[in-house]
Amino acid sequence: MPDKLYDVAIIGCGPAGLQAAIHAASKKSKVIVFGKARKSGLYKAHIANYCCYEKVVLGKEILEVGRKQAETFDAIFLEEDIVRTRKENDLFSLNTESGENFTSRTLILSMGVARNKLRVKGEKELVGRGVSYCVDCDANFYRGLEVAVVGNESAAATGAMTLLSFAKTVYLICRKLMVTDMLYKDLRSSRVKVIEDTWVKEIIGTNEVEGVFLKNGETVKVDGIFVELGAKGALELAANLGVIFDAESFSFIETNKKQETNIPGLYAAGDISGKPWQIAKAVGEGCVAGINASEYAKKLASS
Amino acid sequence: MGQGVLDIDDNNFESEILKADKPALLDFWAPWCGPCKAIAPVMDELQETYGDSIIFARCNVDNSPNAPAQYGIRAIPTIILFQNGNVVDQVVGAVPKSHIEGLVKKVL
Ligand SMILES: Cc1cc2nc3c(=O)[nH]c(=O)nc-3n(C[C@H](O)[C@H](O)[C@H](O)COP(=O)(O)OP(=O)(O)OC[C@H]3O[C@@H](n4cnc5c(N)ncnc54)[C@H](O)[C@@H]3O)c2cc1C
Repeated sequence: MPDKLYDVAIIGCGPAGLQAAIHAASKKSKVIVFGKARKSGLYKAHIANYCCYEKVVLGKEILEVGRKQAETFDAIFLEEDIVRTRKENDLFSLNTESGENFTSRTLILSMGVARNKLRVKGEKELVGRGVSYCVDCDANFYRGLEVAVVGNESAAATGAMTLLSFAKTVYLICRKLMVTDMLYKDLRSSRVKVIEDTWVKEIIGTNEVEGVFLKNGETVKVDGIFVELGAKGALELAANLGVIFDAESFSFIETNKKQETNIPGLYAAGDISGKPWQIAKAVGEGCVAGINASEYAKKLASS
Repeated sequence: MGQGVLDIDDNNFESEILKADKPALLDFWAPWCGPCKAIAPVMDELQETYGDSIIFARCNVDNSPNAPAQYGIRAIPTIILFQNGNVVDQVVGAVPKSHIEGLVKKVL
C-alpha cells in the first residue's frame, strides 16, 4: 500500500476546499488539502453578505480561521500546487509542484476559477499560430524551435521545464517567481532562460508569432509563446480524468446534487462548479462534497 | 445518425476528408490534451444531430503528423471545417458548443 494514501484529497484551500476538509476530517477521514491561501478569490475580498458575519470581514481572516478549524480535525495542509492528476485503478494520484506524489481514494476539485488570458496585443490574433495556453497539449509542435513561457507560478515553471524536452531554447518571462523552493532550484539549475522583473507587452507577428515585446523594452525572438498564468486549472487537471464540463464555456465542471462528477470518487465544489461565485455557495457545496467523499472513501476502504 | 465520429489518420485523410462527398468537421486532438478530452463529448453530440449531412471526424496528431503539419496546426484542439477539399473555417481551443455548431450551420 502506498505510504501517502489519503481518504480525501482536496485541490484548493478557498472556502469550498476548507469546508470540505472540515466535514470530511470530522468524519475521521484522512484528509489532505493542497493550495495556497493567498491565491483564493477570497484572500483580498471584504465580505459583507456572508450569513452570520454582520460586520465587514476580511476574506483573509475567514481563510485563516477555516484552516485552523480543519486542522483541529487533523486535516493536513500542503501549500503547493498540484501539477498532474491521474486515476489508477480506484485511486487518484496527484503530483505537487515540488515533485512529490500523493494517492487518495477520493478527490475534491475546489480550485476556483482563474483568468488565463494575458490580454495583450497580438494574443487573440495569433491563437493557434504560436500562441498557446497548454504546454502539455502543444509542446510537441515546437520541436527544435524557440519558445517563451509567460507566468509567475507553478504552471509556468513546470511548463518551461517540460518544454526543454521539445524546444531548442526556452525562455520564462515573469515578474517574480512564486513557486516552492524545490521547484525554484530545479528551474534555476535547468537550461530554462529566466527573464525576470518584466512582463509581455505585445506579441509580435503577422501570420505567425515572431517574437514578444517586453515591458522592459527588450524584444525576444520566439516561434511560440505559452501563456501559463497561475496554477494549472480544471481543463488541465480534470479533463484528463474524463470529467464532463459545461459545453458552453468549458470553465465549469458538471456535478449532481451530491457534488459528484461523472467520475466515481471525484467531486467538485465552489466557483469551479458554476455560478453564483459566492462564499455561501462554495461553503455549502464544500460541505456536501466533504461528507459524500468521506462516505465513498469508507466504502472503498472496506470493499 | 451516421456512423459516429470517424477516426482519421494520415492514410485515409485524403479519401475520407478532402475527397468526401459531404462537408467534414475534423477535430485534431491528442490523448495527453485535457481540452481535447473536454470537447470530445460535444463532437459526439453534434454528430448525433447533424451526422446525416456532415462527416464528423477526429485525427490523433500523435499518430498522424502529416495532416496537421499540412494545415500548420500548432495548438490542439483545432477543429477544421472542410468542403470540397478546401478549408471553410477553423477554431482553436475548447470553444463553446454553440460556436462549433455555428461552423456546422455554415455548410448545412
Ligand atoms: C475581489 C473579490 C471580492 C469578492 N467579494 C465577495 C463577497 O462579497 N461575497 C461573496 O460571497 N463572495 C465574494 N467573492 C467571491 C468569493 O471569493 C468566491 O466565490 C470564493 O472564494 C470561491 O471559493 P472557492 O473555494 O471555490 O475558490 P477560491 O476561494 O478561489 O480558492 C481556490 C483555491 O484553489 C487553489 N488552487 C487553484 N489551482 C490549484 C492547483 N493547481 N493546485 C493546488 N491548488 C490550486 C488556490 O490556491 C486557492 O486556494 C469575491 C471575489 C473577489 C475576487
